[in-house]
Amino acid sequence: MSTPATQTATIQYDDKTVRQFMFFSVLWGLVGMLVGVICATQLSWWQMNGKFLETLTFGAVQADGISYLTFGRLRPLHTNAVIFAFVGNMMFAGIYYSTQRLCKARTASDLLSKIHMWGWQLIIVAAAVSLPAGLTRGKEYAELIWPINIAVALIWVVFAVNFFWTLAKRNESSLYVALWFYIATIVTVAMLYIVNHLSLPTSFPPSYPVFGRRQAGLVRWWHGDTAVACFPTTPILGIMYYFLPKAANRPVYSYRLSIIHFWSLVFIYIWAGPHHLLNTSLPRWLQMLGMLFSLMLWAPSWGGMLNGLLTLRGAWNKLRTDPVIKFFAAGVTFYGMATFEGPLLSIRAVNQLSHYTDWTIGHVHSGALGWNGFMAAGMFYWLAPRLWKTKLWSVAMANMHFWIGLVGILLYVAAMWTAGVMQGLMLGEVAEGGTTLKYDFVETLKAIQPQYILRSFGGTLFLLGFVLCAINLWKTARSGQPHDDTVEVAVPVRSHDSMKLRETLINDPVAYCILGCFTLCLWFFLPPYANVAALVVTILLAIKAIHGFRTRGAKWIDWHERLLHNYLPFTLLVFIAVAIGGAVQIIPSLIVNREENVEGRLQELYTPLELAGRDIYVSEGCYNCHSQMIRMLMPDVMRYSRAGKEDDFSHLGESLFDHPFQWGSKRTGPDLAREGGEIVEGSKFMRTGVRDNVWHYNHFMNPRQTSEGSNMPAYPWLFEQETDIKALPKKIAVQRKLGVPYPAMNQHEIIDKARMQSLEIANNLAAAKVLQPAGLEMDQEEFAKYLADRQVVALIAYMQKLGTYRIQEKKGPAEGQPLDPDSYRTEITGNDDSTANNE
Amino acid sequence: MSDEASETEVKRGAFAKEKGEVILREHEYDGIQEFDQKLPNWWLFTFYFAIAWFLIYWVIYYHTDAYRTDSEKIVSKMSALQEQKEAALADALGSISNEQLVNDWAKSPAKVAAGEAIYTTHCVACHAADLTSTLAVGDQKIPLPGLSLVDGEWKYGSQPLDLFKLINDGTPADSAGHNGAKMQAWGQMLKPEEIFEVTAFIISKNPDEFGL
Repeated sequence: MSTPATQTATIQYDDKTVRQFMFFSVLWGLVGMLVGVICATQLSWWQMNGKFLETLTFGAVQADGISYLTFGRLRPLHTNAVIFAFVGNMMFAGIYYSTQRLCKARTASDLLSKIHMWGWQLIIVAAAVSLPAGLTRGKEYAELIWPINIAVALIWVVFAVNFFWTLAKRNESSLYVALWFYIATIVTVAMLYIVNHLSLPTSFPPSYPVFGRRQAGLVRWWHGDTAVACFPTTPILGIMYYFLPKAANRPVYSYRLSIIHFWSLVFIYIWAGPHHLLNTSLPRWLQMLGMLFSLMLWAPSWGGMLNGLLTLRGAWNKLRTDPVIKFFAAGVTFYGMATFEGPLLSIRAVNQLSHYTDWTIGHVHSGALGWNGFMAAGMFYWLAPRLWKTKLWSVAMANMHFWIGLVGILLYVAAMWTAGVMQGLMLGEVAEGGTTLKYDFVETLKAIQPQYILRSFGGTLFLLGFVLCAINLWKTARSGQPHDDTVEVAVPVRSHDSMKLRETLINDPVAYCILGCFTLCLWFFLPPYANVAALVVTILLAIKAIHGFRTRGAKWIDWHERLLHNYLPFTLLVFIAVAIGGAVQIIPSLIVNREENVEGRLQELYTPLELAGRDIYVSEGCYNCHSQMIRMLMPDVMRYSRAGKEDDFSHLGESLFDHPFQWGSKRTGPDLAREGGEIVEGSKFMRTGVRDNVWHYNHFMNPRQTSEGSNMPAYPWLFEQETDIKALPKKIAVQRKLGVPYPAMNQHEIIDKARMQSLEIANNLAAAKVLQPAGLEMDQEEFAKYLADRQVVALIAYMQKLGTYRIQEKKGPAEGQPLDPDSYRTEITGNDDSTANNE
Repeated sequence: MSDEASETEVKRGAFAKEKGEVILREHEYDGIQEFDQKLPNWWLFTFYFAIAWFLIYWVIYYHTDAYRTDSEKIVSKMSALQEQKEAALADALGSISNEQLVNDWAKSPAKVAAGEAIYTTHCVACHAADLTSTLAVGDQKIPLPGLSLVDGEWKYGSQPLDLFKLINDGTPADSAGHNGAKMQAWGQMLKPEEIFEVTAFIISKNPDEFGL
């Protein structure tokens, strides 16, 4: 495969960019982990949401809560800082370092490297300012507002151009497995980011995402999961493939395992998205795909772990002496644990217990702390001496970091596992007699407090370890001089990058894969009998493909070898592999799931004031702790549904017009999907649900007054800040553009409606003689006027509207719809569950 | 194969392949070499099994009637639960009278204590620990959402079983509620016995009225 060299060239690698990315990764890592620790303590002590400043400043600051510091705003900051700032910068450092060496070429453009490096840091700063300020899109793992989004997309393009340009200029004709993973990362993240962030700006800066309801659910988890898949998995695997054999000085275990697990991983990962919406009213076929593909993902994920751990064979003795190997071995092991746990949690029966609990949080952290955190540390300790041409300042300190960090992670995940399982079991436990549930929500929350405290402790230990790492790296850098490697490389005769499109696409392996996917989809989507035929064809194709590989396998292998010498054809095939899963899941939903197709429940439109309240809900990050999705499970329905209703789980039509929907993924507090209720007699707009206005008012002022033992922050600023009524006409105009069927209203009508409703609620509260915010002493009328303008009233309006719907009559019997496997199934069984909706 | 042995016996390319030995691929990337070990069988089996499981599960669900849909399942379970609940309620009501509630329940310290515990968990947010439905803030008395339970007024009936019914079913649908507020149906969360206990606790706090 090697091409004869005719000449050599001297190259100086650009290691300055690597040093900068590494510096910022450590810096943001410290910030992100610190914020994480603060968030963790907030779950144990509500005072950590701002009240603690009273003590710290000896009373100079007086507040029950400070908006910038509440959990709902800090948690997105924590996740974004860790994923995109810490892991992001770390992966860029690793990619810039290894790509140059694997291509035997300096990064194509120093200017683009600079723009990428500084642009990324600016984005992080913008995020760090905007998230605590409450500027958010309210989509988990995609919270950043649109101006920042555009910047992210642009910088990602800069990175991609720089990367592929370097590949184009490479002096090493064949692509090493690390580069495959980098390519997959760039392609997938670009695709997901763009699809998920499509949104219409209302004004600077709030905007509404284009996708509502089911598509949004899917698109978000498609992104959310794959943000998790792509950002912390594929690039880090690439980094593992470069740095681990380097550090161990051992050959990679198996090349063919690399090939198999790479292609299966990039193909399967995208399909697994719906596993975040299991047991909901998301169509069953999507849930099935999500669950079954997640199970299939187990082996490909473990392929990476095997290749990592088995590469260490023959180098295990280094485990005792070299902290780098320690970190890598532990990191890869945690990767194995997390990727075993992932498929496990995707089984519907397990998910029933684990979803919405801290088990998921534990799962994510064994990936983030164990896999990413330790791989990062190992890489930094390996890189620092090379980037500054010196020795690691203190091996003992690095070892210390390892042990503190390891104990920290283990405490953390153990705490989260037990907390999750325990709370999940408690929430589902029925009382004696079997007709009611045994525990109130807040009781289950109190029960896991010891674990929460242990978690904060474990997290603090990990942070401490990382502080040691930062010190060690700083001292190492100070003990040496910045150093850029200079090497002599052989410039090969250019025979690579010559594969034509025809050769890329028209060959046995690709043909079998594409045909197979096609018939597989026919099996999913065709009407009865035709689908069986498609299944048979798929199986025959698979048999033929296996036979083909057995007889003409050498040709296939040869083709793949040649593919590795052609970076653009390789990238194209990666794109196709990634795009199929997304397209199959999203396109049918876009086509089938339209308003006219909704049967049963259709969401009531928000009044202008309720819409304003909803924006406050989103901006305060309430979705971080409260779901709005009652699953089709007994514990969920028994706890959250209304009395006397049998089918009161959340139906998709109930959140049809939500942009973005607020289904949530974690219940630190109870579900809110049935919080709303009917219009109060004699009122025009005012509703009252399970709890009345006064209860909500008291609850926002002091959650512990209404729910003893609650860890929810107090929201004093809602009683001071004014609702942005003036922005409503524009917001409603955008909602209309998105297809929300608001009647035509001019801006005066909109504003008048909002004012009437807020006055109704404010009058109601004032008449009930609620406690006035500290420092106010108004008479009833004056106070009603004051309250009407405040955010708390808008938010109460939204709470009282939650989950209200009207019944949309069905037009005749259920019929099989193309692209909807479940509609056929209903027909086959002849069992029409939706009659229950028309009670 | 011990690690040392593998290091010395590694053969390259075609020769090793012929001999059936572990192959170290010829090409190096920045000094990184690659073996070409066979895929571990157990690993392959997990992969094959997951793929087979996909087929099996999908076929069972979509091509046979072995499984009910989620909504069929939940609706039938909830219907059964509803019947069970109604039976339990009818049972409980059949075996109790106003007098019994006062004499057997409200006079039993154990039952009143149990009622107080439930009251503390679920009721204080709106009716306050002292049942006055007010909150003392400084020297102010701030009204809470609920009606006072110690002012001698019973808006929805003053018999012990009226209280029970009110707690169990919530504020009647045709009532305007108190300042628009309506109490939720606690029968959703509490068993009839538990509601008896709460009722007993409330009665015990109004001794004169109920003739305790």
